[in-house]
Amino acid sequence: MRIHRSLHLTFLLVAGCLLMTACLGAGSTPTPAPRITSGGFECPEPEFPIPVEATELNIYVWTEYVPLEMIECFELIYSIKVNRSEYSSNEEMYEVVTTGGSNYDLVQPSDYMIELMAREGLLQELDREKLPVFGNFDPNYLDLEFDPANKYTVPYQAGTTAIVVNTDAVDTIPRSWADLWNEEYAGRMVFLDDSRATIGMTLLTLGYDVNSTDPAQLQEAENKLSELIPNIKLFDSDSPKTALVAGVADLGVTWTAEALLAQQENPAIQYIYPSEGAILWQDNWAMLDNAAHADAAYAWLNYTMQGNVFWMMLRDFPYTNPNTAALEYAKANEPELYDLYTSSPITNTPASVIGSGHRISDVGEAAQLYDAIWARLLGK
Amino acid sequence: MLKFFRRSKGWQLAGLISPGALWILLFFNLPLLIMLFISFVERGRAGGIKIPPVYTIENYRLFFNSCSSAFSGPECNPFLYLGIFSHSVRIGLMVTFFCILVGYPLAYFMAKQKQVWRDALMILVIIPFWTNFLVRTYALKSVLATEGLLNSFLMNLHIISQPMNLLFNEFAVVVGLIYGYLPFAVLPMYTSIEKFDYSLMEAAADLGASPRRAFLRVMLPMTLPGVVAALVLVFVPVVGAFITPDIMGGGKVEMIGTLINRQFGVARNWPFGSAMSLILMLLVLIGVVIYFRSSTEETRRGI
Repeated sequence: MRIHRSLHLTFLLVAGCLLMTACLGAGSTPTPAPRITSGGFECPEPEFPIPVEATELNIYVWTEYVPLEMIECFELIYSIKVNRSEYSSNEEMYEVVTTGGSNYDLVQPSDYMIELMAREGLLQELDREKLPVFGNFDPNYLDLEFDPANKYTVPYQAGTTAIVVNTDAVDTIPRSWADLWNEEYAGRMVFLDDSRATIGMTLLTLGYDVNSTDPAQLQEAENKLSELIPNIKLFDSDSPKTALVAGVADLGVTWTAEALLAQQENPAIQYIYPSEGAILWQDNWAMLDNAAHADAAYAWLNYTMQGNVFWMMLRDFPYTNPNTAALEYAKANEPELYDLYTSSPITNTPASVIGSGHRISDVGEAAQLYDAIWARLLGK
Repeated sequence: MLKFFRRSKGWQLAGLISPGALWILLFFNLPLLIMLFISFVERGRAGGIKIPPVYTIENYRLFFNSCSSAFSGPECNPFLYLGIFSHSVRIGLMVTFFCILVGYPLAYFMAKQKQVWRDALMILVIIPFWTNFLVRTYALKSVLATEGLLNSFLMNLHIISQPMNLLFNEFAVVVGLIYGYLPFAVLPMYTSIEKFDYSLMEAAADLGASPRRAFLRVMLPMTLPGVVAALVLVFVPVVGAFITPDIMGGGKVEMIGTLINRQFGVARNWPFGSAMSLILMLLVLIGVVIYFRSSTEETRRGI
């Protein structure tokens, strides 16, 4: 690895010198001069430089999910203007991309949305030759069922949906999804306003697949779930931590970052991986079929995912990080961040949890059945 | 040529009307037609509609019989969507009733004041409008919360010993909607009452009517157009509300608005969402027709 990198560096230097003498003023080709961001961070040189013609890159990303310094460094290194738009749900992104008029190059769909977008022909196959950065990833996050062999996607960040509990307020700590049906929790739980996750975890307690489309199994889940409704105080996907921290709810179901932030407010709040298996999710980079700046997109992926750039995710948005090179970099250069990350079982998902976890996938037309179940549960 | 256009009254009129007319045509009428079209085609597998379109009335049938879908379970309740719809109408009627019940005396009180005070009171009713609706709803949420203003206040006074569950239920949704739409009820009733000639009440008293009878037989009928306007202005948006049920109900109170909203999100069923929107519009239309039937041209102008 080390030798590899120094080889790359020598190559870079040679290439840089050649370029300086040969084609001065070629514009957007990286040149080895120190670039400092407005925050005083010295942007590292690209490990895998990509020749780029484009002067712009349009990315469409989740809100609060891409560090500004990452964008700034990329702009400084490649002299490319990055235009960023944000969305707050996969469905929102899908609507914008499919209704046309958008000119985005890169998007960040989650697992189930990738299947859907790939099937619709909205994504373009990635050219592995142009993505040496793939070597940076933990194989646990590659070649997953939503995108076999990573034809369309590069992993970004991952996380789980599991049980969160305020151990000061709750006597019996739940250990499984099924434990949530305990009458002791009546009116004390906050759930994600997410029909797939909620019905999915109920299917798990019955021993069925989390993505079942069998009407009989779903009927059974509905009956069981209707018994859980009295325990649920509210559904909230925007900021479930608020209810937990304010004491409005004492336990519930939420995802990685919300649990971590709640725990930082109140150390008594614990994140529990249920015995039936947590729900796993992963956000990924994907290139749209009609991307106008593919070269800039490849440059972006290679540059931002290199270890000495992607480490800043630990600092800014500490979800589960699938990038081994970034973790190694943090271990050597940012030991405090690294320790914080690895010591928390919330962010550093244990391998056993990944092994026993379940992934939500697209259920196609059965989405209507899931919605009908949801409407029935709430409409009662 | 230009002179001709300038001189011709017809052209001038057309020039004045066309921007507004075009705007309405392009951004209101055309989308409505698109919605009508979408409501009669099959949904695409991934959302949107099937291309090329396949025509069907299934979306409307699904609304009246929720078991007509291929994915209905064995214990299917065919009246699911109708039930949610009628529940929304019930909430709508309840909110409208309370808005008028509270709003009428307020409007009466305002109309009885001197001109200066009237204007000041009017501004006090209107000012909350200048705050974002969402902000007001969140503010009300913190009043009703378990450890919120109201509960702490009542507990400090030892009126209650345990905090009441005021939030995340239908009660909270109804309170939130009344809070949000009360001004819509007060303003039209105020304009009606303000125009009411109080000497008629004296005349009624002279003729031997009790104050109650005078109110019921003279004042109420004469200010009824304002009441009907309030009814329409409150009922129509409340039935289709989706932000208030979502925030105040903690995602647990299902209304027609939240149901339609989900069809364009997680459920990815645009045709069904469009069909339900049109059915809701039809209901609203019936409301407006009732309003026009019960009022004359002159009284409407008064409002």
